[in-house]
Amino acid sequence: MENEGRRKFLGVCVAGATAAAAVAAGYPVFRYLAPRSGQGGAAKLVIPVGELKEGDAKFFEFAGSSAVLIKTQSGELVALSAVCTHLGCIVQWVKEKQQFLCPCHGGQFSTDGTVLGGPPPRPLAKIPLTVTEGNITIG
Amino acid sequence: MLKRLYRWLDLRIGVGEIVEKELTGYLLPRNINEWYSLGSVLLVIFALQVITGMLLMIYYVPDADKAFKSVTFIMNEVPYGWLIRLCHAVGSNMMVAVLILHMLSTLLMGSYKAPRELNWVTGFTLLALVQGISLTGYLAPWSQLSFWATTVATNSASAIPVVGPYLVEFLRGGKLVGPPTLGRFFALHAAVLPVVIAAVIGAHLFLLKRTGVSAPPFGREGTATPFEAQQYHYQGHPGGIPFFPNYALQDLASISIYFAVFLAVVFFWPGMPFTPDAFVPADPFKTPAHIKPEWYFLANYQTLKIFPSELLGLSVQAAAMTFLALLPFIDRSPERHPLKRPVFLTLVIAGILLWIALSVWGHLS
Ligand code: HEM
Ligand code: FES
Repeated sequence: MENEGRRKFLGVCVAGATAAAAVAAGYPVFRYLAPRSGQGGAAKLVIPVGELKEGDAKFFEFAGSSAVLIKTQSGELVALSAVCTHLGCIVQWVKEKQQFLCPCHGGQFSTDGTVLGGPPPRPLAKIPLTVTEGNITIG
Repeated sequence: MLKRLYRWLDLRIGVGEIVEKELTGYLLPRNINEWYSLGSVLLVIFALQVITGMLLMIYYVPDADKAFKSVTFIMNEVPYGWLIRLCHAVGSNMMVAVLILHMLSTLLMGSYKAPRELNWVTGFTLLALVQGISLTGYLAPWSQLSFWATTVATNSASAIPVVGPYLVEFLRGGKLVGPPTLGRFFALHAAVLPVVIAAVIGAHLFLLKRTGVSAPPFGREGTATPFEAQQYHYQGHPGGIPFFPNYALQDLASISIYFAVFLAVVFFWPGMPFTPDAFVPADPFKTPAHIKPEWYFLANYQTLKIFPSELLGLSVQAAAMTFLALLPFIDRSPERHPLKRPVFLTLVIAGILLWIALSVWGHLS
């Protein structure tokens, strides 16, 4: 029976050492693989007002994701996330209809991001913007 | 919980039978020694090289314009990138070192003799392949060291009569080492050679399974157990010690010692695999002053230098390598105890000393 006790003790030691080694090896590998923070591009962006005509859209990278700035035909400026709320494709601007179309499953959004049709469950997220002295500051 | 899982598996696929046959019932000679665990250490090293290599591939870019930068990025920016890279670079050196020890142990114990000639031949093939994977991997960082070491190494093939110059061009993918060389070397290093090495390791182990492990020539039984080539028979060791748990513990101990040494080098001697030229990007117009190969190629390097003609130096090496590769077919006496083979032992020791002397000379010259 003394042997049983020893065996168990050794077993626990080996298991413990193995677990410690696994953590010691696993943590660096996890950190190595983890996406690097602060790599996603600027979270603030300045675009000159003149760059955009009425009825046009401009796509850009914003905080590591895709976003779009539109100037409606009435001259209103809106910044939206360009990531479709259905399964994450990037929406396209259909100038003739003045609305967004997601090419993946036909989701449609209006200029303010509301769902007009198709599978998307939620409107496109709005991004705040301010206009000062001919510059549009997004974010 | 584990017991139930084991039972579940056993009822379905009979793991118990496999464990009985390959682990607890796999009997090894009672006088087996530590040296027999080096094969397991090598398996672990190879696995580690594969894993760290895959991890490096995530950030490494095999493009002459970007390779050096990507390696610098791994070293300086990626969290623990230095650790992964050092494990890979130090590991390759350690692998060659352990490979040499494994080879010397089977050499001195005469394990290469019948019926294990093929084990030796596949092992020798592995040595050549591991040297090849090291050489091709050496170019990957595209540093001055990579570039010029590869220039010198590939250039030595030019001494081969008739085909030599073309062979060099073929190896390099151009007249000089350049971006095409990186393409082919990287493909060899990361795709071709690992698969070939894994396959030859498979053959090496398969052969071992068929012949059975040798009994060491020391101690109890007679040292010269002649092999009668009348009929195939597996050399078992009835009454021996089980692989599991007895020898598995020895394997584990050897692997732990290996890791202690390996990690000591990684953490306390991280400059071991590098020279200052390893930190300068490759410049095809500027040969650095002292370009030397890695330590395990120093003897070859020095041999090439001391012979008046490159062809002669190359031939001598080729002859030595062929001799070693075919040793089991040349040395056919059944005696395996090194002390009962004085001529052999003298030759081995002289050979080792010669190799060390050439390496040191190559290092200092
Ligand atoms: C990637 C490299 C290699 C690996 C992974 C490897 C692996 C192994 C393993 C696991 C064994 C069984 C246990 C042992 O005796 O150590 C073994 C046996 C053996 N190896 Fe290797 N080996 C390698 C390279 C070599 C080299 C370079 C040689 C010699 C040229 C060699 C010659 C032998 C011989 C003769 C045996 C039979 C030993 C006996 O039965 O007593 N191996 N190898
Ligand atoms: S992802 Fe946009 S509609 Fe499905």
